[in-house]
Amino acid sequence: MRILLTSIGIFLFIGCASYPKKNGFTTQTSLKSETINPYFSDILKDYVYKAKIDAFGNSFGGLFIVKKLSENHHRIVFTTEMGNTILDFEFKGQNLKIHRILPEMDKKLLINVLKRDFLALISEKPEIVKVFSKGEKMLIGAEVLSKKHRYWIADGKLTKIARTSGGKEKVTFLFSRINDNIVEEIQISHQSFDLKIELKAL
Amino acid sequence: MYKLFLLLVLMFGALHAQTKMTSAEANDLRAMVKEQAKTTQTITSDFTQFKHLDFLSNDIESKGKMAFKTPDMVKWQYTQPFAYSIIFKNQELYINDDGDKSHIDVGGNKTFEQLNQLITSSIRGDMFDDTQFDISYFTKDGKSLVHFLPKDAQFKEFIKAFHLTFNNEGEVQEVKMIEPSGDYTQIILSTRQTNQPLSDADFAH
Repeated sequence: MRILLTSIGIFLFIGCASYPKKNGFTTQTSLKSETINPYFSDILKDYVYKAKIDAFGNSFGGLFIVKKLSENHHRIVFTTEMGNTILDFEFKGQNLKIHRILPEMDKKLLINVLKRDFLALISEKPEIVKVFSKGEKMLIGAEVLSKKHRYWIADGKLTKIARTSGGKEKVTFLFSRINDNIVEEIQISHQSFDLKIELKAL
Repeated sequence: MYKLFLLLVLMFGALHAQTKMTSAEANDLRAMVKEQAKTTQTITSDFTQFKHLDFLSNDIESKGKMAFKTPDMVKWQYTQPFAYSIIFKNQELYINDDGDKSHIDVGGNKTFEQLNQLITSSIRGDMFDDTQFDISYFTKDGKSLVHFLPKDAQFKEFIKAFHLTFNNEGEVQEVKMIEPSGDYTQIILSTRQTNQPLSDADFAH
């Protein structure tokens, strides 16, 4: 009986443990403000990606362009392949200035989704809440626009960001083919609704 | 030395000056382009596209092949640095994005319909429609340059101006689409061939 209770106790303990604990991560105390996401941090570089977007049953493509203008200051532009601008956003810190958006896309809800996604994508130093480590792997809990985000770092490279709510992943950003702070492929997927953005570096 | 420098500056200035055409010159150009368009059944050409955004360090360059067949079929096939083709025909856009095929009926979208029509007519050069555009005519570097400023308020929000550059035969060599922000897309046609046989299969999706 005691063994059974202990087992249940262990089961409940493990069952209720957070993702980091379940996966063998230990808490780190030194919380320094460091660059976690270096992928859009070089002022000298024009970041140009071929984009494929699947949204609400529609599929379309274009060019996704990011430029860092100064510290915490980025411009993000999405154009068609022929060069017509679909949207042109400027971020200064968390403030968004819309230079242009196609009238069909000028919806508050959509703009908010894009604002959150783009800020998560370009924020180099999100507000760190907790850091866990396990060997060469790190899991960082941070906040972007007051929303919880998890950052997975393996061998010093950021491989995934997830926006979470109630412990569940709502939006994931997967980074692959990474070389010297340049990420060649990015996949942004929303779990709550039908929106997926695939980016391939040109 | 100073005079030589001044002379060089003036020569350079003269070479790059953009001078307004007289109305007789403008009429001649219009007539030549219309005549050229009338006798053109097909056009094939290589193209280089530069997307200019003021805040970028470099323009974004892409290359490909273009084909046109009367009355209104156009295919833009980008080969570098990505594989993408877009075909305009029968009021529809057919897209092949690196193997992913889709098509859009642009009949319902006024802006895209206009853009579609203008891209087609800009290849032929024959877009001298005074009801649709404020048109002005220039000579630059020995070539003809025509500015088309859309009059339609809704379309103006999309594209501020088209600049077409014509060679001495009245063929379009360059199309520049300027957005309200001043950012632009410049398409330069090269190795252009007219009236080579093209079939509908060349515009198959």
